[in-house]
Amino acid sequence: MLQMEAWRPTVTPAPMSAINQRVPDPFEQLFLQEYPKVVAIAYRVLADRPAAEDVAQEVFIKFHRSYSPTSEHASGWLHSAAVHSALNVIRGERRRAQRETAHALDPARAPVASPERLVEEAEQRREVRRALSRLPQRTAALLMLRHSGLSYAEVATALGMKVGNVGTLLRRAEDALRKEVKRATSE
Amino acid sequence: MRHLNDGTLRRIYDEPLALTATDQAHFDACPECKARFGSIAQAAVATTALLNVPGFAPEAAAALKSVRARIRTEEAARPPRWYERWLDRTSPRWRPMATPAVAVLLAATLVTGLAATGAIQSLIRIFEPQTIAAVQVSPSDFANPSAVLDYGQVKWLPDAPKVQQLSDAAVAATQSGLPVLMPASLPQGVSGPVSFGVVSHAAGSLTFDAQRLKASAATKGVKVNPMPSSIDGSTLVVNAGPALVEVWGLSGNTSQAQAPTLVIAQTRVPTVDSTGASAADLETYLLSQPGVPPDIAAQVRAIKDPTSTLPLPIPKGLATTEPVQVNGVSGLLIKAVIGAGVVWVKNGVIYAVGGQLTPDQVLAIATTLH
Repeated sequence: MLQMEAWRPTVTPAPMSAINQRVPDPFEQLFLQEYPKVVAIAYRVLADRPAAEDVAQEVFIKFHRSYSPTSEHASGWLHSAAVHSALNVIRGERRRAQRETAHALDPARAPVASPERLVEEAEQRREVRRALSRLPQRTAALLMLRHSGLSYAEVATALGMKVGNVGTLLRRAEDALRKEVKRATSE
Repeated sequence: MRHLNDGTLRRIYDEPLALTATDQAHFDACPECKARFGSIAQAAVATTALLNVPGFAPEAAAALKSVRARIRTEEAARPPRWYERWLDRTSPRWRPMATPAVAVLLAATLVTGLAATGAIQSLIRIFEPQTIAAVQVSPSDFANPSAVLDYGQVKWLPDAPKVQQLSDAAVAATQSGLPVLMPASLPQGVSGPVSFGVVSHAAGSLTFDAQRLKASAATKGVKVNPMPSSIDGSTLVVNAGPALVEVWGLSGNTSQAQAPTLVIAQTRVPTVDSTGASAADLETYLLSQPGVPPDIAAQVRAIKDPTSTLPLPIPKGLATTEPVQVNGVSGLLIKAVIGAGVVWVKNGVIYAVGGQLTPDQVLAIATTLH
């Protein structure tokens, strides 16, 4: 701040070439702008950071192979690819898990964060992801896009629907997920 | 009148400002819709809790590096494209044209060319803010003569920044290279045409000169600490802007001074590169100058990472600040008697939203910008 005040005195023009300009390329610009959202979507679905980062990177590599970073559909494509790729991962896990014994969720919760509590929370997250993998793909995608912080307009663009329909479908998706979780935990 | 459907009620929970005026009027007057909204909101909260995951900060720069590396590997492994095969078959004299070596060579020429003109020496990025910290100041802090001492040669490269006033959003976006941001809806009390201000990108340099500082201090009759040799002679290159400011509440036809009701501003983060002096050197030296109020110096010193934190002066007693989460990053909420504002840095852009509004209104605008 003080340095800035000291700046005022003499002003002499100098050649444009002396400016240290940083012009990021369009892919980099798109990546830096969209990566946080793309990884957040994958992470919300997977609840697993390394797996989410893998999915996000894979999505950008696929995008780079086929599309221009300046395309107006870039963001929508990335969001949609992120949620569908991540949902495919949990679906794959479900098929694997079907061969294993499922763990029942203990409804008793410790009041403070203890190792047991953390294990329990992790187990609950897995349970919710299993329920999610049983929902229709589009229902699950809508739910996860919105719960990753995308606006209604962004959700609508990513899934190719009208903004006016997002609320209604979201409401139904939320009911469906909670029913599925309830059903699984009461089994 | 027909009741609001579940979808609209669900949206009120997430995007209250997206509601149309008619729906809002119905909702405000309808206890039945309010009750339904209550249960829908409860279900939304329950789902959010179900889907909750521990937070983490994505590392975009590192991820970009790894994606780039994978793309390079893929490109190296893919079969040559038709034009590359064609180039490969043509005369060996032209073959280098087909290789990336040409690009590397061009870049090298450009860099050595610049280096020869002395434009690039060894520039070190010493300031590129990613976060914001409040520094409480009072107006008297800047009434001090030492604040306007001559520390050395200042140059604009090539010109001082230009400010333009525009009324057309598309022109403002093109001129600034920044997208025109609009809130999902405007709060009550904010209306009328929006006007735009665009500040051009500007770069400037300051070459520290111990002799000039000494002379100017002698003229002003103030005592300064001698400039250390690590700073004397080194040049700072500052890159700032462009910036785009959107202002509501300034109607063009009245001559009386008006305060804008809402301002949305964005600017690319300023950067400072240094040819020698480090951020730590500069901070230590400049803060130790006589005339720098000790409490400001202490606040600036307390900033953990001076190279990536932008100090934001907040007038003492007139406003308070608190940290908030905005659009997935941490920002600073400023509460004042006359209004509120929120400032955050995201993806290399500093955003600010403020006006004669409540903190909640300001946050609602900030989170629905599109």
